[in-house]
Amino acid sequence: MGRLFVVSLEGKIYSCKHCRTHLALSEDIVSKSFHCRHGKAYLFNKVVNVSVGVHEERMMMTGMHTVADIFCVGCGSIVGWRYETAHEKLQKYKEGKSVLERFKVSGPDGSNYWITPEAHVGGSDADDA
Amino acid sequence: MGGIEESERPLKRVKVPSGGSDSLSANLSLTEPREPASGFSLRDSMAWSPSSQGDKDAIGSKGIIKRPEFIKIITRALYSLGYSKSGDQLQKESGIPLHSTVVDLFRQQVVEGKWDESVDTLHRIGLSDEYIVKSASFMILEQKFLELLKKEKIKDALSTLRNEIVPLSINVSRVHELAAYIIFPSSSAVGGPSSQDAAGSKSQSAILEKLQKLFPAAIMIPEKRLEQLVEQALDVQRDACAYHNTFDSELSLYSDHHCGTNHIPSQTLQVLQAHCDEVWFLQFSHNGKYLASSSKDRSAIIWEVKDDGEVSLKHKLTGHQREVSIVSWSPDDQQLLTCGVEESIRRWDVNSGECLHIYEKAGVGLISCGWFPGGKGVFSGMTDKSICLWDLDGRELESWKGQRTLKISDIAITDDGKRIMTMCRENAILLLDREAKCEKLIKENQMITSFSLSKDNKYLLVNLFNQEIHLWRLGGDPDVVSRYRGHKRTRFLIRSCFGGLEQAFIASGSEDSKVYVWHRDTPEPLFALPGHSGAVNCVSWSPTNPHMLASGSDDYTIRIWGLDQVKLKNRDNQKNGINHHSKGKT
Repeated sequence: MGRLFVVSLEGKIYSCKHCRTHLALSEDIVSKSFHCRHGKAYLFNKVVNVSVGVHEERMMMTGMHTVADIFCVGCGSIVGWRYETAHEKLQKYKEGKSVLERFKVSGPDGSNYWITPEAHVGGSDADDA
Repeated sequence: MGGIEESERPLKRVKVPSGGSDSLSANLSLTEPREPASGFSLRDSMAWSPSSQGDKDAIGSKGIIKRPEFIKIITRALYSLGYSKSGDQLQKESGIPLHSTVVDLFRQQVVEGKWDESVDTLHRIGLSDEYIVKSASFMILEQKFLELLKKEKIKDALSTLRNEIVPLSINVSRVHELAAYIIFPSSSAVGGPSSQDAAGSKSQSAILEKLQKLFPAAIMIPEKRLEQLVEQALDVQRDACAYHNTFDSELSLYSDHHCGTNHIPSQTLQVLQAHCDEVWFLQFSHNGKYLASSSKDRSAIIWEVKDDGEVSLKHKLTGHQREVSIVSWSPDDQQLLTCGVEESIRRWDVNSGECLHIYEKAGVGLISCGWFPGGKGVFSGMTDKSICLWDLDGRELESWKGQRTLKISDIAITDDGKRIMTMCRENAILLLDREAKCEKLIKENQMITSFSLSKDNKYLLVNLFNQEIHLWRLGGDPDVVSRYRGHKRTRFLIRSCFGGLEQAFIASGSEDSKVYVWHRDTPEPLFALPGHSGAVNCVSWSPTNPHMLASGSDDYTIRIWGLDQVKLKNRDNQKNGINHHSKGKT
């Protein structure tokens, strides 16, 4: 596996549920109203210790976007996605930002999130309200 | 000085037809008296006349080498090497005398100490530059003056000074000095009587050498001219060699020197399997005789590099409770430091393999280590963001607090101990000047994963998060001079290093299991060497053998890379023709 290169964060940290690698800070949350297959997801300004997958065009709830899945460097599990480009002007604010699925991360207080039956089955994405 | 020239002998010249052509006046044989009337002797003009015949006297494939000049410098070289008979013979056979008769006479008179005659002859040589004539006369007369002084013929010396030296009106300050010697004859510059007289002939030839430097080269062929030309040719070849990686002692005159990429290690010579887990770090000792490697298996190994290049295990160092992330050789290569991740530093004796000391700090984990120049102390970076300097016994000497990164932290110190380099925040390296107590920052726009300092402390090789390697030139204002790409890095800490002759090459590990090698001047890799079956975490180039490279990998092994012997042999077989390299570096 090699010697993992990981960055350590300070503050209120969201970390990978499986291997506890630091992923993002609470202060970098842009919006908490995002959705994914597994329920809630948060949009973050900056996410660390992730490797980026292949870019692909995906139809999200708010339109066509170019996104790439992001994976935790510690254990390789998928933790969310990153917006590379948004095709509609209104969605441009998302470019460069990343979404972490709430189900995949442990919150700053160590809390976890479990999939509820009311989880949004329709799709991923959401607007900023 | 080899071969003080020809003694007195009549020079009978027989002109041998050059190039075997009959069109030349074949039977030009001449003998003539030695003392021609003026300037260039008759013989000289005869020696030069064939040049008017055109290309018979231009030799070499391009026809730009003048035959008489070529032969003269060869003759000169023969004399310098001590083969005066051969020198004489060459002059006879070629019909090209080394010097004109007048010059020969002049040289002889100087050697024999016949100062007045030599000054006369000097004027007959026909030098156009007045200044040279005057300077040469000055030198000769100065010698005459000093000799007279020594023989205590003060009056004669004085008259020489007044009537012969002063009218030259050059080098007035020296004239004053000479005048002073009359009053203070024991002045040390004149030299004790014993030293001068005993080395009588030596001082004459010393004068000749000094005079030689004054004369234009065409009149008196400078000594060692041929050697100089050959050295220039070797310099040109060496400079034109784009990937030069051989010692000067291996340059040969037989064929043009051209390393190509054949002199860069590119073939696995040995696979070392002794670690039970991933190899995370390795480094050759300063003298190139040892290699130390550290592993996730919590051990470090000292390997011995034999003279024939074979690497064998010497000691396995166990004791750490955590993975060993880094090793550091003491300046004298007698001791080794190993650092357990966020744990402690251990100091080991290289010969016995014993652990000599453990450095720890309560409540804090140590993450990097290095030797203080001189081997008198050990410094380390810690999880609480400070850097600590201990003496060998573990007493804390100095400590710096401040902004450092927590988990993975490279640290380096310059050879004079004055500057410490450490990671600082994610994108920057801090250059801490211990004496001036000031700090400089090297800022990147990307996260820095690791860095290493060049041997001459002038460059810093910085590995970035986005798979680029930047070469920073340190100095007043550090700036990036080169960028290298090609290797892969997405998750791990991959290291790179300097190496090769004069550290002209860069090598790096990569997550695609290959070892990448660049020349410092090119951003594209020269080689991507396959062989490992796991990510290559670290590389180290032998500081004493530019043809030996080591790499450590996640496949638990270390590979030793060397020259591709097959390629080398093929190249040598092709080199028998004359190579004309008309272009320079590619």
